[in-house]
Amino acid sequence: MSNTIDPHKLKLVKRPKNGSITNPYYGCTVGAAYSVLGIKGGVSIANCGPGCMYKQFFMMSFDNGFQGAYGAGAGNMPSANVQENDVVFGGLKTLDNLIKSSLAVLKGDLYVVLTGCSGELIGDDVPSVVKKYRDKGYPIVCADTGGFKGTNLTGHEIVVKSIIDQYVGDYDGEKTPGLVNLWFETPYYDQNWRGDYEELVRILRGAGLKVNILFGPENEGVKAWKKIPKAQFNLVVSSWVGLETAEHLKEKYNQPYLHIPVIPIGEEATSEFIRKVVDYAGIDKKKSEKFIKKEAELYYYYIEHFAEFFSEYWFGLPSEYAVVANSNYAIAYTKFLADQIGLIPKKTIITDNPPERYRNAISEEYKHLSDGVSIEPDFVEDGYTVQQILEKEVTFGHGVPLIIGTTWEIDYAREHGALLLESSSPTTESLVVNKSYIGYKGALSFIEHIYSATVGGK
Amino acid sequence: MAKELRQIAIYGKGGIGKSTTTQNLTAGLAEAGKNVMVVGCDPKADSTRLLLGGLAQRTVLDTLREEGEDLELDKILKVGFKGTRCVESGGPEPGVGCAGRGIITSIGYLERLGAYTEDLDYVFYDVLGDVVCGGFAMPIREGKAKEIYIVASGEMMALYAANNISKGIARYAKQGGVRLGGIICNSRNCDRELDLLKAFSAELGTQLIHFVPRDNIVQRAEIRKKTVIEFDPESEQAEVYRQLADAIEHNTQFVIPKPMSQERLEEILVEYGLFD
Repeated sequence: MSNTIDPHKLKLVKRPKNGSITNPYYGCTVGAAYSVLGIKGGVSIANCGPGCMYKQFFMMSFDNGFQGAYGAGAGNMPSANVQENDVVFGGLKTLDNLIKSSLAVLKGDLYVVLTGCSGELIGDDVPSVVKKYRDKGYPIVCADTGGFKGTNLTGHEIVVKSIIDQYVGDYDGEKTPGLVNLWFETPYYDQNWRGDYEELVRILRGAGLKVNILFGPENEGVKAWKKIPKAQFNLVVSSWVGLETAEHLKEKYNQPYLHIPVIPIGEEATSEFIRKVVDYAGIDKKKSEKFIKKEAELYYYYIEHFAEFFSEYWFGLPSEYAVVANSNYAIAYTKFLADQIGLIPKKTIITDNPPERYRNAISEEYKHLSDGVSIEPDFVEDGYTVQQILEKEVTFGHGVPLIIGTTWEIDYAREHGALLLESSSPTTESLVVNKSYIGYKGALSFIEHIYSATVGGK
Repeated sequence: MAKELRQIAIYGKGGIGKSTTTQNLTAGLAEAGKNVMVVGCDPKADSTRLLLGGLAQRTVLDTLREEGEDLELDKILKVGFKGTRCVESGGPEPGVGCAGRGIITSIGYLERLGAYTEDLDYVFYDVLGDVVCGGFAMPIREGKAKEIYIVASGEMMALYAANNISKGIARYAKQGGVRLGGIICNSRNCDRELDLLKAFSAELGTQLIHFVPRDNIVQRAEIRKKTVIEFDPESEQAEVYRQLADAIEHNTQFVIPKPMSQERLEEILVEYGLFD
């Protein structure tokens, strides 16, 4: 196969950075306000400049499948709208007023004050204001999420750590065997997170685990967060986001963690995933094997129907594909399409700017996508550059190109007659409610969407 | 023909006597018939006390904080000795906010309110301690002050600070027209101070523009909230400040300083006996 590369010769592709981004794929640190909204009863209080939250809303929710939000938030988040006077004289009075009003009009179980660039630069003593309210009995914490610290994913870890340290607190009691904290997709940013959480939780429960669900449709809000220290272990199902949290919990509560860097899609990957987790947890395998058997039967019942179409429809099915997505979705989709559908990966571009220290491990996963199939991922955080790379470096042969990408790839797709399935931020031409492309059930939806596009639908 | 406005920033280690020197030398310029504005760029807001006879000046930032953005020039600009116009930028309460941003805000307001009138000969910026951040570099950015004088003495830390400030000037000199006009020695009566300051200035590529000897008359004048020129116009020290004013008026040596390495600075200090 022409695109098979000797894994031993792989090197990280380093692209020159010019310091500016034309078409962004991620929000800034304070975008983690949306992680708070991923917790039921969570209320974000934004201590940042006017416009900051509006922009985050677009990157995280609106222009990311028009997800809206649950509870207090979406496009109407309380914000201090820090201005010049707050910078010169300090913004604590403004923040104090904002917290007071937010507590009065927004009902919540956990309030998180996220400080953006201006407050962080001038060194406002936000904890002193927040502590005043905590001492009065309000469940409130603060997170130092200056935008210059990184992406919304950096911010996500900062927010999670802040809640653990300031709200969950110390614990040295007993652990509950079989109870696992689930650290999975980043709320809102991973656009199918709601559907994906449902599917993964269903799978873990089916396998016999007690899942402590910290985000998403089935999470129990602050009750779940208070339960964190009691869990037997932490399960990180994510390319790299969540690892810092897991390390922190290891130190704080002496909890071990299992890291599974590739979100499983399809029967083979999902069954393997279950066996790995069950092994680690040391729980009874009878239940999980029974579950796997039932799920596999169902899965292949549907796949057999699809196989008929797949083998008979010869009017231009895509055979080669490119993926432009954040770390989580990039590896999951690239692997599934290569390993289970048998398509040929031409290019995978990772858009969420993962920290350098994780990049080797991330690239490593692409060395064994399937038997004899590997690819070297690029790390590019600008949609403009991505388009140039696709133009210059990728040829799709005579077939219809398939791109699992974002709205920034629309022009390229149009010009090259490619099928574009939007599945990472930003996404403005499809709406996400409870979509999922992972696990057993999500894999079937993924197939449906790809091949609906192929036969002319959208 | 409109005369050319000279905008001058005075830097130097904290406590070296920047404000005292600035006010005394501007008193000298005012006495010689020059139109001068002094802008205090120090949150302590003590840069114009001697010119205003101790009048508690409302700072730009205090006025802004208490009365909002609708400022009027006469609220923040007071006229002092011989018509010198005095402004204090002020700052936030200690430990809060960003004083550097405050300087930027204040100078912005002065410009908008029309403080820089055509009849001015000089604007002096008396800037706190060091070029500690971008805000305190504001007077030398964007073509504002084109001349810098550093107040120093024969004490080691004063020279360290002067060398550091020169680094800031060298940085901004590349982008704009800012130049170092010289070092003013505000004497502390150290051994061989004059020689040391001359050598130090030469090493920086600049001049020792004036040596101000130590004289307690400065303190006596300060207690009475006056510059020496106003307090005792006939004194020797008043004459010294007039000479300094004259030296600045006729200065033609404007250079991009060549800040020295720590090692070189220490060598000079050893040479002049500061280190044993």
